[in-house]
Amino acid sequence: MLITSNRMPNRLDSISRRDFLKTSSLGTLAGVLTSEWVLLEPEPTELRPSITDTVNCAVIGYGLWGREISATLLRLEEANLVAVCDTYPVMLRRAERSLSEISTYTDYREILDHAEIPAVFIATPSHLHSQIVLDALQAGKHVYCEAPLASSIGDARRIAASARDHEGQIFQGGLLYRTEPQYRSVYGFIRSGALGKAIMARAQWHSRESWRRTSPDSARTRALNWRLDPEISPGLMGEVGIQQYDTAMWIFGGLPSAVSGFGGVYYWKDRDVADTAQTVMDFSTGERMIYDATIVSSFDAMYDTFYGSDSTIILRDGKAWMFKEVDAPMQGWEVYARKDKFYKETGIALLANATKLDALGQDATDDDPNAETPLFHALKAFMDNYFFGPYEPVMNYQKSFDATVVALKANEAVIANSRIEFQPEWFEI
Amino acid sequence: MKTVRVAVNAMATRFEFVLLGEDETLLQAAGEEALREITSLEKRLSYYSDTSELTRINRRAAYEPIPLAPDLFSLLREAERFVKKTGGAFDPAIGPLLRCWGFVEGSGSIPDDTALEEATAMSGFHHVHLDKNSNSVRFDHEGVEIDLGAIGKGYALDEAARIVKGHGITNALLHGGTSTVVGIGTSYDGEPWRIGIQDGDAVLGTIELENSSLSISARSGKFFTSGERSYTHILDPRTGHPTSEAAVSAIVSSTATRSDALSTAALVLGSAAQELHDSETGVGVWRTADPSSVLVFDGLPAFDRNLSWS
Repeated sequence: MLITSNRMPNRLDSISRRDFLKTSSLGTLAGVLTSEWVLLEPEPTELRPSITDTVNCAVIGYGLWGREISATLLRLEEANLVAVCDTYPVMLRRAERSLSEISTYTDYREILDHAEIPAVFIATPSHLHSQIVLDALQAGKHVYCEAPLASSIGDARRIAASARDHEGQIFQGGLLYRTEPQYRSVYGFIRSGALGKAIMARAQWHSRESWRRTSPDSARTRALNWRLDPEISPGLMGEVGIQQYDTAMWIFGGLPSAVSGFGGVYYWKDRDVADTAQTVMDFSTGERMIYDATIVSSFDAMYDTFYGSDSTIILRDGKAWMFKEVDAPMQGWEVYARKDKFYKETGIALLANATKLDALGQDATDDDPNAETPLFHALKAFMDNYFFGPYEPVMNYQKSFDATVVALKANEAVIANSRIEFQPEWFEI
Repeated sequence: MKTVRVAVNAMATRFEFVLLGEDETLLQAAGEEALREITSLEKRLSYYSDTSELTRINRRAAYEPIPLAPDLFSLLREAERFVKKTGGAFDPAIGPLLRCWGFVEGSGSIPDDTALEEATAMSGFHHVHLDKNSNSVRFDHEGVEIDLGAIGKGYALDEAARIVKGHGITNALLHGGTSTVVGIGTSYDGEPWRIGIQDGDAVLGTIELENSSLSISARSGKFFTSGERSYTHILDPRTGHPTSEAAVSAIVSSTATRSDALSTAALVLGSAAQELHDSETGVGVWRTADPSSVLVFDGLPAFDRNLSWS
C-alpha cells in the first residue's frame, strides 16, 4: 500500500491516521500469522484511499477564547481548522480575515451535520454550552468543552452524563494544567514526597481588565457581557479560579470538603459581579488552599504555590522552583541544579523539557518566547487521543464535572460571603 | 469629554491608547478589545517566536507554498508594494542579514565578508513569491526569512484603530513605543493632535495629526559600537550594511502601516527620501539630531521647529 499525505480538508474518500493505525496493526498481525509476505502493488490512484494526517476541526464560539483555541489549532500539525461558528456576524468576518480556507456558520447545527468534521471545540459563553455539547455528542462528534462545563450544576451534570453515555467519543473539559508539562513534572515530584507533609496551597490570578465588552449593537452588547450578569455569570471563581482549584485537587489527590468565600466590587463600579474575590478551601485530604482573584490589579499575575514540611514549590509562567527548609533532607540532585535568587530566598529550578545546558543558560525571569501555552498542550492531548485512542482523557467528564461543581459552589460562597460544606452527592453524575 | 487610557506591553515596546468620548465604560471596553488585537497580532507576526504564523512561513515556504490568512496575505502584498516604491530601501525579507549582523540573538557584531555575502544573497523580497489566486507565499531559496519588525507595529496600530473606530470612537491617540502614532479625529480642544519629534534629548519639532499617522525611525534606537564606529540595527537591504546616511526620519501618512514602513526606508535613503513624498506622504529626514541638519523636508503637516513643550 502506498501511503500518501494529504492536508486537503473535506476529503471524504480519505481514511484517518487513527483508522490507518488500527488497520495497519491488524495487517501486520495477519502477516505474522500466515507467515506470508506479499509485496503489494500500488493501487490505481483514483481508488486508493489516502491517509490524512489531520483531523478536521470546528470551533463553536469565536470570542476571545474561541480565537485563542483557533490560533492554537493552527499550530497543531494534526489539526485542520475548517469551520468556525458564531451567532455574531462581526466575529465571523473576523474569522474570515484571519484564518485561511475557513467556512463560517451562524448555526452550530450546520457544523454537526458535516460528517467530515469529527471534532468540535466549544467556546461559547458558559451558560450556552449545555445544548451544544449534548447535540454534538448525539451527532457523534468528539468534543472539547471549555471550563466551566456550564454555569449551573444541573447543566454541567447533563453534559457529564451525556459524555459518560457516549463511550467511544472523546469528551475533554477545558482544564489546562493536568496536561501541561511543567505542572506534570512537578506533580510527579510532589507525589514522590518532595514537599514532605503537604499542608497548604496558595494561588492567585491577577489581571488588569474590565471584563466589559462592547458592540455598536445594544442587544449584542448585553449578550457579550454575560460575565457581568449575576444570573448567568460563574464569576471570577467559575471563569478563572476553576483552573487553579483543579490543579490543587489534582496535586492533593482529593476533593475539597468546604469553601469559604469573600469578594466584592472594589473598582469597576458598573456591575454587581465581584471584581475581586478570595476563597479558603479545606480539602478532604487535610490540606487548605487560599485563593485570590482580581481584575483590578495585574501585580504578580498568576501562580500556584504548594507548601509542605520540607519544601515549598511555586509554579509560574511555565516554570517552577523549590525552596527547601533548612532542616529538610538532601536528595542529592539539587546540588547540580540551577539556583535562582528571589529576594532573600534561593529557589532550586525544577525544569521540565529542558536540557541541563538550556537550563543553566536560561534567565529565571525571562519569558521563553518558544514556550507553548497550557492550551496548546491540552489540545495536543485531545489530538493524541483522537489519533491513538479513544482512551480516557486526562481531563475526563468526571474530573471536569468535579471542578465545575467546586468552582460554581466557590462562586456561590463569594456571592453570599459564606461557608459551604461540599456534599458527596453533588459530585455524582 | 471623558478620557480613558489603556496600555499593554507587546512587540518589545509599550502600546498606549488615549480614547476620548462621553461613555467611559464603552471607551474602556473598546480600548481593551484593541489591546487584545495587538497581543494577538504579536503572537502571529513575531519573528522571534517559534510558534508564530510568521515563523511557520519562514521555516516552510522554501519547500512548499504556504496558504495564508487573508489579512496576513494582504500585509505581505502591501510590504511588497513598499519594497518596489522604495527601490528596496524597505525590505522585510532580511532575516539572514539580521542574523549575520548578530541582531537576532545578540546586540550585534561585525560579520566576516563571506558570511555577509551569503546572507546578502539569501535576502531580499525578490525571493518571496505571493500567489493571489491561492493566497499563498513561497520562497525560491532556502534560508530566506521575513522579519516584519519595520512594518508590524504600524499594521497592529491600524488594526487597533479599526477596532476603536468600529466602536464609534471618533477621537483617540494610539501609539506604539512612541515611534508610531495614529491620530484619530482631533484632540481635547478640537485641535489636531500635536506630536513632538525627538531624538534623545533633541527636539526636532512638532507636527499635527488629524486622521493620519506618524512614524519616526532613528539610527540611535538600537546599535552596537566597534572601535570608533557605531552600527545601527537598521540595515540597508540594498548593501547589507547598517545605514549611516541619516540619523532621524519622520513620515506622516494615511495609515500607520505605510508610515512605519516608509520611515525605515527614509532613514536608509537619506537625501534620496525626497522621492517618497507624494499626496499622502510627508517626509522629514535629518542627518544628525540637530534640527538644522535637514536632508529632506516636505509635506509634514504644521511642522513647528520652534515650539517647545510647556
